[in-house]
Amino acid sequence: MIWRLVIALFLLFMLGPILLVVLFSFGSNALIGFPMGGLTLDWYTKLAQDTGFHSAFWASFIVALATATLATITGTCAALALTKAAPKLVRSALAALSLPVLLPPLVVAIAIVVLFVRGLGLGLGLPVVILGHILVAQPFVILIVMARLARFDQATVDAARDLGATHWQAFRLVTLPQIASALIGAALVSAAISLDDFIIASFTIGGGNTISTFVWGKMRTTLDPSINAIATILLVLTVGLSALALRVSKYKG
Amino acid sequence: MRRAILLLAPSLAVLIGIFAIPVLLLFVVSFWSVKSFRLQPDFSLAAWHRFFTVYGDLTLYTLAVGLAVGLFCTLLGFVFAYAARFKAGRFGDLLLVATLITLFGGYLVKIYAWKSILGADGLLNQALMGIGLTSQPLAFLIYSRGAVIIALVHFLLPFAILPIYASLRNVSETTIEAARDLGASASQVLMRVIVPQCLSGLFSAFAFCFLLAAGDYVTPMLLGGTSGSMLGQFVLLEFSTNFNWPAGSAMSFGLLFVCLLVIGALAAAGSRLMRRGEGAAS
Repeated sequence: MIWRLVIALFLLFMLGPILLVVLFSFGSNALIGFPMGGLTLDWYTKLAQDTGFHSAFWASFIVALATATLATITGTCAALALTKAAPKLVRSALAALSLPVLLPPLVVAIAIVVLFVRGLGLGLGLPVVILGHILVAQPFVILIVMARLARFDQATVDAARDLGATHWQAFRLVTLPQIASALIGAALVSAAISLDDFIIASFTIGGGNTISTFVWGKMRTTLDPSINAIATILLVLTVGLSALALRVSKYKG
Repeated sequence: MRRAILLLAPSLAVLIGIFAIPVLLLFVVSFWSVKSFRLQPDFSLAAWHRFFTVYGDLTLYTLAVGLAVGLFCTLLGFVFAYAARFKAGRFGDLLLVATLITLFGGYLVKIYAWKSILGADGLLNQALMGIGLTSQPLAFLIYSRGAVIIALVHFLLPFAILPIYASLRNVSETTIEAARDLGASASQVLMRVIVPQCLSGLFSAFAFCFLLAAGDYVTPMLLGGTSGSMLGQFVLLEFSTNFNWPAGSAMSFGLLFVCLLVIGALAAAGSRLMRRGEGAAS
């Protein structure tokens, strides 16, 4: 009985604040506070007409799509290499590849800016954001794909090879169809990570906005009531992608 | 072997090009100097001197916030993971899903939500005035170290739950029942059977939350006010407003080294404690 109360309190703490933002994005009163006023979709229709939001949305879309595609490729390659490797190599490679997630994103973001601006003399922009997002997304891809490969029957690949398939044919015709759901899950998680990231994007984007940096602009400067609606859109996108990824890949921890 | 290296190449290229080289370069920059807003290669300790003298106290405050967040997350994460593993029955998986989907969602939204809850005309103040506990809005709810800690715990808790839950999954009910049958009390089962088996999960949860909390600058910027400021904000300030990249770099690495020292010291103390515990038990 007491545990039910404990669990309820935890869920209230973890999900309550997020649900509040969603709830108030449909309220006619500008700020979060009661009474919330009547139900309305005004803030969403306002956003739909906001050109600043449009360009932020498309920038986020491009970055998330590119990150999902590229991080899934680099991460899957690494996972394939590591499943057959010696345990010692696996541990050190995984530790090294996860390092970018363990450091504060601020440090990673600043380091990338220093390299591109001072080290290479290049400008910033969406390609740099994408590279930064691949860096933080690929360790998660590796984890998800390795978890799938651990339950994978290697004999099917060996059989294909014995029957004369090349490495590539065996991968494309035997391995890939079996691990496809894990790859889709990993790509969705990568997209969620990309959409949710604010710190790396805000440093490396140079000019313009992603949805995250657009939300930040509203959070900092004005008491713009449409912020609840943008926050809700961002939340629905990231949480929705994560939930979808869980369903598709059947990943459990 | 050659195929393995080839397959590892893309991810390692990203790791080296976008992480290892930039981080090394950033470290080198901490020894450079700045003359009239121009960065010059140099071997100067000015930036490090600035870190220790100007930002020493702030670093300690930042560590204190990080430690508090790390401890709260580990403790709450353990209670939640314990509930999901042993007490929730068929809802256990559902609780884990609730944790996983908030993992990669809504970093900014969560901070913004706390601003709306704790603000002067926020929900909490409205509620407190509504039930007559206070006639004036309580100003200290927001723009304080407490607000920063609450928001960071909220954001990082899922990251603490997952490693703890993963290690609790390996604790079998049989050993717990065996301990109970042999007359162990509930607290003895907890402290001498369950906790020792999930120490590594507890430790990684703490280390991760501590590091990320100490390195955050967005949360204190929005919720910290002046009393809750943290070092990350000043890294940003030195970096973007003052164009003092060496100072920003020295502060980043200084904080990182201090954090790693804290984690290392805790790991050493923990393993010594464990060995003593084993000695006493045998």
